[in-house]
Amino acid sequence: MATTSQIQGVGLGLKRELIPQIQALYGQDQLANINFVEIAPENWIDVGGKSAKQLDWFVERYPIVCHGLCLSLGGLSPLNVDFLRQVKKFLHQHSIPVYTEHLSYSTDGFKGTQGYLYDLLPIPFTEEAVHYVAQRIRQTQDILGQRIGVENASSYVAAPVSEMSELDFINAVIEEADCLLHLDINNIYVNSVNFGFNPHEFLRGIPGNRIVYSHMAGHYQQTPNLLVDTHGEDVIDPVWALLEDAYQLFGTFPTLLERDNNIPPLNVLIHEINKIADFQNKELQRTATTKKSVATSAG
Amino acid sequence: MTTNLPSFQRYQLAFTARIRDPHNQPPLEGVSRQRMAVYEEIVFNNLFESVSACFPVARKVLGKRAWLMLTQAFLREYSATSPLFRKIPEQFLEFITNPGQELEQSLPPYLTSLCHYEWIELFVASTPAIENNAENIKPADDLGKYQPVFTATMQLLNYEYAVHKISPRNKPRQKESTQLLVYRDADDNVKFVELNAVTFRLIALLQQESITGEQALTLLANELKHLQAESIIQFGLEILKDLKNQGIIIGVRH
Repeated sequence: MATTSQIQGVGLGLKRELIPQIQALYGQDQLANINFVEIAPENWIDVGGKSAKQLDWFVERYPIVCHGLCLSLGGLSPLNVDFLRQVKKFLHQHSIPVYTEHLSYSTDGFKGTQGYLYDLLPIPFTEEAVHYVAQRIRQTQDILGQRIGVENASSYVAAPVSEMSELDFINAVIEEADCLLHLDINNIYVNSVNFGFNPHEFLRGIPGNRIVYSHMAGHYQQTPNLLVDTHGEDVIDPVWALLEDAYQLFGTFPTLLERDNNIPPLNVLIHEINKIADFQNKELQRTATTKKSVATSAG
Repeated sequence: MTTNLPSFQRYQLAFTARIRDPHNQPPLEGVSRQRMAVYEEIVFNNLFESVSACFPVARKVLGKRAWLMLTQAFLREYSATSPLFRKIPEQFLEFITNPGQELEQSLPPYLTSLCHYEWIELFVASTPAIENNAENIKPADDLGKYQPVFTATMQLLNYEYAVHKISPRNKPRQKESTQLLVYRDADDNVKFVELNAVTFRLIALLQQESITGEQALTLLANELKHLQAESIIQFGLEILKDLKNQGIIIGVRH
């Protein structure tokens, strides 16, 4: 059985285009920094044929994390308990220790059924929404028998009915649900531009001790004050700076690169994987040096 | 009814109503139209791409405009029940099978058959193949004496139209009964086989009932009122052997 402690270093979101390339280069030095991979259960539950064989290949070779897209924690329809049981079985079957979801919703209960819209829609930040979402996270954790991580979602529209900031909302939900935080560094940056706040200050308000792992990604700049979270571009410098700041604030944590669109060949994409590893090593060295100098001055 | 909901949920309902039908639902009060348009686009484009990827022929046959309107109607009117992405095309198929009177009249009569034919490839490629009582399956050495077992991914299909021949240049003008078999081979490739009516019936008989190859062929000979049952049986055994060689029959049950 895999454990959360096996999720370390740098990870890569598993896209179908990348699978044959990873299989071809497996074991070679250039892939040494890929320590774990992430899959969406909505793409892999109950598959047969080629996909099932690919999944088995990865399960045998890499620690795996599940990052869901359609649980709809803030959705208008009842939590899909049948689906959650499938997720539980899937996690167990493949010894996957971590399951995270977005602080968003993807169902509207249209015509009295789930009404999946297959995308991540923004939950208004209200007191009632905190209780509603936290209760659904608790229900999820009860069914799964484990804590889940919730990801700070990117968004483009501020709800006029919101009563609090995104940061207060995230903190209140995590506190009330007693869950973990899946920190998306790029989403902090995207929202900071879309809604005009300081991303480094935001970082100082999150519960760092709850981080299970984090995401790095690129985005698309539609206008100077509207960024769209496409995962289709390279990671930009201000997002790298934010990651470095987060490592300095909270110590290093496992970090995964998401690239879902406009995917370059693996030998290009690997540069961003290596860059994350470099930031992690740099932070470990910095901490080691600080400790050493403290020890020296104490001696 | 919605007035009983908390304010955040009333807002969410207005939000998704607008996403489902941006042409008819009012814009949200206090929300930038430009920002809202991002959601209207990403939700629709996502769905459009998932559906279009599965039905390339149907899309071309209907034409850009009609396909766009059909996928818009899917988002506007259908409540999807599966969180699994690969089930989106299946749900689209369900939608066009019963799309409401007005829409139905605008669609060609062969569209659901064509879409089913396009979807079944995806289905067979990704369905988990679980053999029932796999331990009871013996090597297929005598297909007449024992009960042939078909590969678990096999689908026997009976269409009113020649779905496999449809293209923008070849839109069916009339019905043409068509029987196909589709399965996933040992290398996980999806294969289609066109069947004649007799072979189709033979496989259907063997699928429906726990009977041996010879019993099925005897039934078939009776159905065909064939005077020389023996020649039907010989002919049929050759067909079964051929199915075995293609990996469609994987063994027998005693």
